[in-house]
Amino acid sequence: MSAVCILAPVMVAAWPAFSSAVVAAAGSMGYVVAEEAVSQFLGATATPQRKTAVALDIPNSQIVTSQLGRDQRISVSRDGVTVTFSRDERGKAGLCVLGNGQSEEELHAAGEELSQRVVQQYVYQRLTQEMQSRGYSVVEESTDVNQAIHMRIRHWEN
Amino acid sequence: MPEREYEITIAPDGTVELNIHGHKGKGCLDVAKIFEQIVGEQKSQRLTNEFYEPEEQVQYRIDQRH
Repeated sequence: MSAVCILAPVMVAAWPAFSSAVVAAAGSMGYVVAEEAVSQFLGATATPQRKTAVALDIPNSQIVTSQLGRDQRISVSRDGVTVTFSRDERGKAGLCVLGNGQSEEELHAAGEELSQRVVQQYVYQRLTQEMQSRGYSVVEESTDVNQAIHMRIRHWEN
Repeated sequence: MPEREYEITIAPDGTVELNIHGHKGKGCLDVAKIFEQIVGEQKSQRLTNEFYEPEEQVQYRIDQRH
């Protein structure tokens, strides 16, 4: 080999690509999609009726949209924990983790783990699409016990 | 046509480790740049021995016969 590079992901995505990554990440972790809604009104955010709520944001994220003024969100749930992903007014991706009986630390950890997996799925989907469009072939792909995705890609150059 | 092979590991937090094979010389830096545009910012880079080998050159010899 000639070089080893470490790249930190930056997520700049349209809502469909972002929600696709959320669905893939949530599915791999046993969450089910509870609701995907597009509200016309920015003030129409649902007020949680549950006991504990933790808000997090996804670092280095930007959700681009052509639908100005729309409040887009998608919710996934597992074992009484509901995580709602949304785009704030500045375009940053955030999530709200609601639980019933869990501590704030537990909800924070659950939200952190899921948001990282969303970024992982976004990177995976973007890489595979881009590589395909540039004529690269994926010759090997696997996921290890730590949930890291390994890919071997090949390209013939003129 | 030389074959290029890359190994990519996407960690659970989305961090990408890219191993570039088959490039001699600075060609691998162009590949790293492409991946940087797709994924995000480069945090670190380690060059291996192959990087310092001379780049591939193709020579053509044309003989003109009368």
